[in-house]
Amino acid sequence: MRGKWKLLVIGLIVLSVILTGCAQQEKKPEATPTPKTEEKVEAETLYFGAPISLTGKYSKEGQMSLWGMQVAAKWINDVYGGIKVGDKVYKVEIKYYDDESKKESVQSLVERLAVQDGVKFMLAPYSSGLTLAAAPIAEKYGVLMNSHGGASDYIFEQGYYYVVQTLSPASKYQTGFLDMIKKVDPDAKRVAMIYKDTEFSRAVFNAAREYAEANGFEVIFDKTYPKDVQDLSPILNELKATNPDIIIGGGHFADGQLLTQQLAELKINVKAISILVAPALPKYYDALGTKAEGICAPAQWEVGVTYGPEPAKKLGMDYFGPTQDEFLVLFKEISGSDEKPSYHAAEGAAAVLSYAYAIEKAQSLDPEKVRETMNGIEFMTLYGVWKIDPETGKQIGHEMVIIQWQGGTKRIIWPEAAANTEPYYPIPTWEDKEQGKLAKH
Amino acid sequence: MVVAEHLVSNLFYGALLGSVYGVATMGLSLIFGVLRIVNVGHGAFIMLGAFTAFWMFSLYSVIPILSIPIALIFGLALGLLIFYTTIRRLIDAPELSTLLATFAIGIFIEEVAKFVWGSDYVGFSWNIGTLYLGAITVPYTKLLAFVCSAAIAGLLYIWFTKTKLGTAIRAVVEDREGAMVCGINVGRIYSLSFAIGIGLTVLSGVLVTLFVPVGINVYMGPDYTLRAFVIAVLGGLGSPWGAFIAGFLFGLFENGSYTLLGLIPGVEPFALTRFVAFVFLLIILLIKPTGLLGGE
Repeated sequence: MRGKWKLLVIGLIVLSVILTGCAQQEKKPEATPTPKTEEKVEAETLYFGAPISLTGKYSKEGQMSLWGMQVAAKWINDVYGGIKVGDKVYKVEIKYYDDESKKESVQSLVERLAVQDGVKFMLAPYSSGLTLAAAPIAEKYGVLMNSHGGASDYIFEQGYYYVVQTLSPASKYQTGFLDMIKKVDPDAKRVAMIYKDTEFSRAVFNAAREYAEANGFEVIFDKTYPKDVQDLSPILNELKATNPDIIIGGGHFADGQLLTQQLAELKINVKAISILVAPALPKYYDALGTKAEGICAPAQWEVGVTYGPEPAKKLGMDYFGPTQDEFLVLFKEISGSDEKPSYHAAEGAAAVLSYAYAIEKAQSLDPEKVRETMNGIEFMTLYGVWKIDPETGKQIGHEMVIIQWQGGTKRIIWPEAAANTEPYYPIPTWEDKEQGKLAKH
Repeated sequence: MVVAEHLVSNLFYGALLGSVYGVATMGLSLIFGVLRIVNVGHGAFIMLGAFTAFWMFSLYSVIPILSIPIALIFGLALGLLIFYTTIRRLIDAPELSTLLATFAIGIFIEEVAKFVWGSDYVGFSWNIGTLYLGAITVPYTKLLAFVCSAAIAGLLYIWFTKTKLGTAIRAVVEDREGAMVCGINVGRIYSLSFAIGIGLTVLSGVLVTLFVPVGINVYMGPDYTLRAFVIAVLGGLGSPWGAFIAGFLFGLFENGSYTLLGLIPGVEPFALTRFVAFVFLLIILLIKPTGLLGGE
């Protein structure tokens, strides 16, 4: 009897291994494509490699960025007609593996993509931590790596040549909010900073501290909380006693929600609050209800931001890629859901588009030549301007926007050029919000 | 004066949090005590409880307090199912097999949950007012979490000491062969203990949402698993109420030490609170290697 069980278990394991193998096989490039005689220009496939967090803690962001990349690839292939290099046309395909949101997996997957799959252009994994883990491997194999979800400035201070950035670096995340406060209320000087102890948040808030002090603010509270925190009461108790004008803080989704929830519980009233990441997602409002009213967040991108061929023309640069409307249609098609794209999707798309644009400009598939060409290009996609610092590869063209929850809707309040409404300032107190008051003009 | 005020309020919050930690660990301890199986997938069951509270509230407006019995019944059923499909075959298996099996069950639950519910961070707002007590500002939901935790721990204690079945479970924990000789159906005790252990764990997920009603996510479990291990060891592995007391103390130390560490200039107190809690664990284990209420 026992023998039978063993046999069954072994059989099941073997079967699952075979099935997983088959699933991976599907994604592998087809062996030498059969030449089609009727086509004048033979379209070859160019693979952009990507470790994507499809499971684990970044699965949400990972899925969004993958959809974004696939939308960009579809636009390049179907609308734009492929990437033209010399007399060849290349169709783009995203070759991805699930990195399970783990550093260890990321490193082996980057190696696998570079060595076994022979990918020359890579899209970095989501988050600064994972990008930092991936970067040395890409550098080692001379493969270009485009960071679309790793904002930490630290990545670009390591002297890597092959690592470039599409999203705004962490150092710019909270500076826009401070600019806005300075404009609407020059008397609000006392800033409290409370943030998660991670690479990303430290980068954001180290830069924010410097920026605040240089701009006449007084940082009166500056403390971190650990990653897996369940109760922020002790640190918030201490913060409350310092009586700040504004609070900037946060880290990721869970702690951002927790921070708002506990600021409300302890009735810590200030004039304005800006929290990283969490408030930029619609579920934030669903989870917190009116407590979310008036809360601001920096965002890399938002549906409704006005980048397009016209603004690009005004700035005297090319516009490349789908317009926002085209993007939304393609996104719906690829994702198969009614969910709106988050900024992660736009970042992923912009990274793919920047490769396509740079490869065409370079007229080469050699990562080194493409990297060199990237130094000189400046263009716009639906995500905003793309321009890197030649020395470090850091993004310097793209601008952050500030969103604020007003009457249950996310509105863009900063920078003034991109804003679709005025900031609501000062925000209602927690007591007022409990009574149903909204941060609505 | 300010320091004293902070200390008092932090200890108060610590006690509330600690009681939830305690209940969230009792299931782990019970399962280890009876079956000698370490449930590495523990956190996944807490997550299921948190989602039970979330869905009951958002779909049917059932307040979290009323979700407690629902989560318990759900957990009991799930526990029985897992016991008869997997755990039963692993009772005398080597530790590595049971570790891998429970780890796999945890991952399986998380991924199925993600498939069904998605990977969003969700939450709900159940506002029943706030208590202002001097320096302490605390929402009633947190006090309720404490009251429920204490009540559940108390009820379990009574059940274990006053009922026949509870006594039988304790007998199996103490001496499996002896219990068998006395005519106790050990197989049944196994299934029952596993089911109760999982039931308690799922239920504690509801308590977690009473304490923090936001940030509910399919991957929220592992943070609780780690704490639960520490607390279980501290309380004496295999002793559910030892786990409860240890959880309570752990919460007090985690939050209470914040104020004292904050007095040292140049340190990040929050990063060190965990350190202090672990030093405390080490000291207890040095004095009493079997944990607070552990036997031989």
